[in-house]
Amino acid sequence: MSSQVILVADDDDDILLLVTTRLRRDGHEVVSASRGDDALALAREIRPALAVLDVGMPGLDGLQVLEQIRADETLDGTRVLLLTAKAQESDVRRGYAGGADAYVKKPFSPAELSTRVRELLDETG
Amino acid sequence: MDLRRALREHHVGAFFLAVGVVLSGVYFLIPGGAPQSVLYDTIGIASSLAIGLGVVLHRPEARMPWLLFGLGNLSFAVADIIFDVSPDATVPSVADWFYLAGYPLLAVGLAYLIIHAGGHHRFAALVEAAIVTVAFALFQWVFVVDQIVDGVGSASERAVTAAYPSMDVLLLAGLAGFFVTAAWRTPAFLLLVGAVVTMLVADEIYGLNPGGYAAGDWVDAGWMLSYLLWATAALSPSMQKLSKPRTRTRQLRVSPVRIMLLVAALLSAPAVLLIQDVRGAPLNVPAVVTAASIMAVLVVLRLMGILRALERIRARLIEADRLKDEFVALISHDLRTPLTSIMGYTELALDDDIEPKLDQERRSYLEVVSRSSNRLLRLVDDLLFVARLQAGRLDLTPAPLDLCEVAQQTVEEAKRRAEAKGVELVFEGDGAVEVSADKGRLFQLLDNLVSNAIKFTPEGGRIEIRVSRNERAILEVRDNGMGFTADEASRVFDRFYRADNAIEGQVQGTGLGLFIAQAITEAHGGTISAAPRDGGGAVFRIELPYARTAMILK
Repeated sequence: MSSQVILVADDDDDILLLVTTRLRRDGHEVVSASRGDDALALAREIRPALAVLDVGMPGLDGLQVLEQIRADETLDGTRVLLLTAKAQESDVRRGYAGGADAYVKKPFSPAELSTRVRELLDETG
Repeated sequence: MDLRRALREHHVGAFFLAVGVVLSGVYFLIPGGAPQSVLYDTIGIASSLAIGLGVVLHRPEARMPWLLFGLGNLSFAVADIIFDVSPDATVPSVADWFYLAGYPLLAVGLAYLIIHAGGHHRFAALVEAAIVTVAFALFQWVFVVDQIVDGVGSASERAVTAAYPSMDVLLLAGLAGFFVTAAWRTPAFLLLVGAVVTMLVADEIYGLNPGGYAAGDWVDAGWMLSYLLWATAALSPSMQKLSKPRTRTRQLRVSPVRIMLLVAALLSAPAVLLIQDVRGAPLNVPAVVTAASIMAVLVVLRLMGILRALERIRARLIEADRLKDEFVALISHDLRTPLTSIMGYTELALDDDIEPKLDQERRSYLEVVSRSSNRLLRLVDDLLFVARLQAGRLDLTPAPLDLCEVAQQTVEEAKRRAEAKGVELVFEGDGAVEVSADKGRLFQLLDNLVSNAIKFTPEGGRIEIRVSRNERAILEVRDNGMGFTADEASRVFDRFYRADNAIEGQVQGTGLGLFIAQAITEAHGGTISAAPRDGGGAVFRIELPYARTAMILK
C-alpha cells in the first residue's frame, strides 16, 4: 500500500514553492525535488500516492520520470500529474500516451491544481 | 606628386577620350597615305602609353593585368607602324608577328583580372563563359577559318591568316569570362568591355571580307576606338576597384542579358546548320559536332552546379525552419514560467484562508495584477499561436462533435465576464449540429468571437449566439456594440488590423483575435465573414462543413 504523500518536482524554485505551499495548505503531506533523477529516486523510496512532475527538468525530464515510474511495478499505485509550460497539443498527447493521469498547463491557477489533485487522490480511494 | 593628384582629379580619362574621338574623326577627313598613317599610329602609341600613365596615377592593387593591356596595345601599335612602313611585305610579315603577339597579352590580362577577382561562383561563371566561347569559335571556324584554309596562298600564309580569327576566339574567351565574373559594374569595367567588343567587331568585319579592306576604311574607326577605350579604362579611377579582389561573393545574377547570351550560344549549332544549308555551302560536320558536344557537356556541368546550389539553399531553409521552431518553443517556455509564478502567487496572496486578511486597498491592487497577467497570458498565447500558424504547425485532431454543445459551453464560460460588464449574453440553438472539428481549437475560435463581441459591446448591450443548419453548419454572433464600417468588414480579419472605432474607443487588443479565428475556421474547411448591422453592431458568421458521419446518416 502506497503512502498518501505527494511528490512534487520542478526545477524552478518559485514554482516548486508555489505548488508545495498550495498543496500543504490543502492539508497534504508533500515532498519535493528539483531534478528529474532525484524525483525518481525519491518516488522509489517513498512510493507516493501522486507525483506532480514538471516536464522540462535537468537529470531526467518529466516524461522520462513518468516512463520509469510506469515501468516500476512497485509504483503501480502512483498517479502522475504532468505540469508543463509546453502547451502544444502534441505534448499533451505524448504525456497521456506515456501514462499520465492528468495534465495541467503552465501558467495554472493553484486553485485549479488543487482541485485536480483532490480528484486524482479521491479516485485512488 | 601634385601633378599626379591634379591629373587624377581632373577627369584626364574623359579628356583623353574626347581628344581621341575628335582625332579619329579628323582621320577620315585628311588625305590617305602618310598623314593618315601618322595619325593612326599616334593614336595607337598614345593609348598604349596612356595605359601606363593610368597605372602610375591610380596604383591598382594588381598592376600586372594593366601592364599586360599596355603591352598588348603597344604590340598592336608597333605592328601598325611596321605595316605602314612596308605594307606590301609578304604574309607572314614582321607586322603579323607583332599583331598576333598582342592578342594573348590582352587575353592573359583579362584572365588575370578574373582569377584575381576570386569568388565561389567563379566556376559557374567560367562554364557560362566557355559556352559562349565555344559558340563563337564555331562561327569563326565555319565562316572565317574554313574560308582561309580552303583559300589561296602558301601554307604558311594561310596558317598565319587563320591565326587571326583564332586569336579573336581567345580574346572573346577572356571577355566572356571577365563579363560574367565581374561583380563590379564600374565605368572601367564598361570601358574594358567596350574596348574588347569594338576590337572584335572590327576584326570580324575585316575577317569576313579581308579582300575588301584598304587603308582608310571605316573599319579603322573600330580599331582606333578600341585603342582609346583601353586607355580610358586605365585612366578611369574606377580601375582601382576592378583590380581588387572581391570580399563579398554573391550568387550569380540571372540577368536577361546573360540568359540571352546563353540561349544564343546554345542555338549556334542549329543556326550554323541552317545557314550553311540555306547558302548551299559545304557543311563542316566535325566543327558542328565538336562544338555542340562540348556545349552539351558544359550545360550539364552548369546544371549540376545549379542543382548543388539549390540543395545547399534547401538545407539552409530547413535549418532556419528548425531554429524558428526551437525559438518559438523556447520563448513559449521562458514567457510562461515567470507568468506561472506571477499568477500563482497573486492567487495565493488573494486567498481568503490566510491570516491576517488583506485589506480592501491591497486586495484591489492585487486584482489589477491578476487581471493584467491574464491579459498578458492571452497575448502570449495569441502570438505563439500565430507563430506556429506561420510555421505551418497547426496540429488539428478533428473528431465529430456537436457545435451547439461547444457554443453553449463557450457562452457559459463567458457569462461571468459579460455580466461583469453589464452585457446580456443569449444563446439560441436547437438540436445537435454535428461538425468534424478539433475541440480545443473550436472552443478557442468561438471564445475569440464571443470575447471580441463582449469587448466591443457597451453596458446594457446584448449579444446573441445562434447555431443553425443550412447547407453547412452555421454559427452567428450578433452584437449591438460599436461595430465597424462596410469598408472595414473585409479587413477585420487581417493580422494586427484594428478598426477605427476600436482605436478611438480605446478598446484594448492586438488585432490578432479575429485573424486567429479566421485561421482556425479555414483550417477546418469553413468560412468566416463579418458585416456591420443596421443601427450599429456587427454580425460574425461561421460556416462549417458537417461531420461526414452525419452526412451519411442524412
